[in-house]
Amino acid sequence: MYIYLPIAEQPIHSLAILGIGAFLGLIMGLVGVGGGFLLTPLMMFLGIPPPVAVASVANQLVAPSVSGVLSHWKRSNVDFKMGTVLLLGGIVGSSIGVILFNFLGKIGQLDFVIKSSYVIFLTLIGTLMFSESLRLILRTRKGKVTRGKLHQHNWLHGLPFKIRFRKSKLYISILLPILIGVIVGILAALMGIGGGFIIVPAMIYLLGMPTSLVVGTSLFQIIFVAANTTILQASQNQTVDIVLATILLLGSVIGVQLGSRFTNILRGEYLRLILSSIIILVSLKLLIDLVTVPSDLFSVIISR
Amino acid sequence: MNFFFHINLIFLAFILTSNTFAQNQIVADLSQENVKIATDFQGAKILLFGAYDGKKGDDIIVIVTGPKGLVTVQKKEKILGVWVNTKKVNYINTPKYLSISSNRKIDVILNKKTQKLSEIGLNNLKIRIQPGIKVENEGNWRQALTRNMLKSNLWSINENSVTLNKDSLFRSYLELPSNVITGQFEVKILHYRNSKLVSQQINSINVSKSGISAEIYDIAQNYSTLYGIFAVLLAVLIGWGSNLIFRKV
Repeated sequence: MYIYLPIAEQPIHSLAILGIGAFLGLIMGLVGVGGGFLLTPLMMFLGIPPPVAVASVANQLVAPSVSGVLSHWKRSNVDFKMGTVLLLGGIVGSSIGVILFNFLGKIGQLDFVIKSSYVIFLTLIGTLMFSESLRLILRTRKGKVTRGKLHQHNWLHGLPFKIRFRKSKLYISILLPILIGVIVGILAALMGIGGGFIIVPAMIYLLGMPTSLVVGTSLFQIIFVAANTTILQASQNQTVDIVLATILLLGSVIGVQLGSRFTNILRGEYLRLILSSIIILVSLKLLIDLVTVPSDLFSVIISR
Repeated sequence: MNFFFHINLIFLAFILTSNTFAQNQIVADLSQENVKIATDFQGAKILLFGAYDGKKGDDIIVIVTGPKGLVTVQKKEKILGVWVNTKKVNYINTPKYLSISSNRKIDVILNKKTQKLSEIGLNNLKIRIQPGIKVENEGNWRQALTRNMLKSNLWSINENSVTLNKDSLFRSYLELPSNVITGQFEVKILHYRNSKLVSQQINSINVSKSGISAEIYDIAQNYSTLYGIFAVLLAVLIGWGSNLIFRKV
């Protein structure tokens, strides 16, 4: 059944959108990351204008995040203190991101910046995640399950304004999560993502948070970053397509529920191995698109 | 609609054969004058039909022109191995929809010079580059504009798509794609005899958004912050609601 999107100004098959939403919700519920970075490119492949795709995906991310946080909260898997610190940075960052988004659109480089940001960050995170989870799997296979320190200490732990995060069993500088929040916020607004695929590894590898808390806490901060991005995109650029977002989120809330149910069944490192493979594939596809000669060097923009 | 269409044709034919109208008359009507873009819109197919006072060998050309405005052409160049948009040219007064239909090849109906004078054909449009911009190889840019507009189905040339019947009746289907722009569309019907214009008529089609999709668009434009807040609240509600539902299952 086709449905006409009022802001994207084109018809689209509603069942396809619902299915895509459900699939990405499933990934999100399982790994705690993922909706946006696959969803935004997919929407663009379907012909949705990039600005509308980015803003509407931010809108849809709110729903599975709320739903996911509630499930994780029940199992006491959310560090609200850490989440709040992260989201303060995230709100600042996503506001900067929307302004940057607007500016890049005006100079006509938005598409390029979106795509190259995807290539850089997906490759980086994908490779890191892939090698880490592979190493873990191989080590477990050999039977040498050695538990090291809770986390590595490095220069990041020497920063001032230290506070204690009881839930995460951390005593670190508040500057670090705020900075992570800002950077993720900028990228989130610019790329139409919740930022989970950056913040989750950052929480594990930079902050040294326990893996069990990472998913719930990242979903908690994504709610606010995505909400802030949606409101700003709507008021600044009028690019939020509520119909597109609603169909996507109806699919994704179902997916995320199923996903969070299986999260304790499937082993974390296997999940991350699969996810990192998808990430690497997506970034390769985008990279190929950027370097191959376009079929037409010219394109047109029709002002409405 | 078929029945209605036939009645109309008979009526039109009657008008033409009666002597109340002057010679060289053309009368046309559209199956739909108001195109509403509602939530189920997938493009529109409009029947144009009418009667003309024709002789053997006469031709009909139908030109539908949508709203005119700014269309930007961008060009990519390779920088450090990556293809980036580097140059752009703004075309003003450019029709955002254009279809040219005829009963046979336009080159057979009119010679190139007449086509140019009467602005028929994609290369004969009065499109201007925004003043103040200097452009090298202007022809390439203009070709790129035409090529891309054709590819998006917003411009089209449909030769042999006007059907003539007994030198008195004609009909043609006008197709508006789903990505059509809203506004006033002019439908110009031209009747040629030996490459000379003998009669013409202008009709119009109004394309507008309607129903809930129009309302959403208006709210997004006029109350944009409220719209954003509402979008977030709706998402929170659905997320929360789904959690309640799934907990019980």
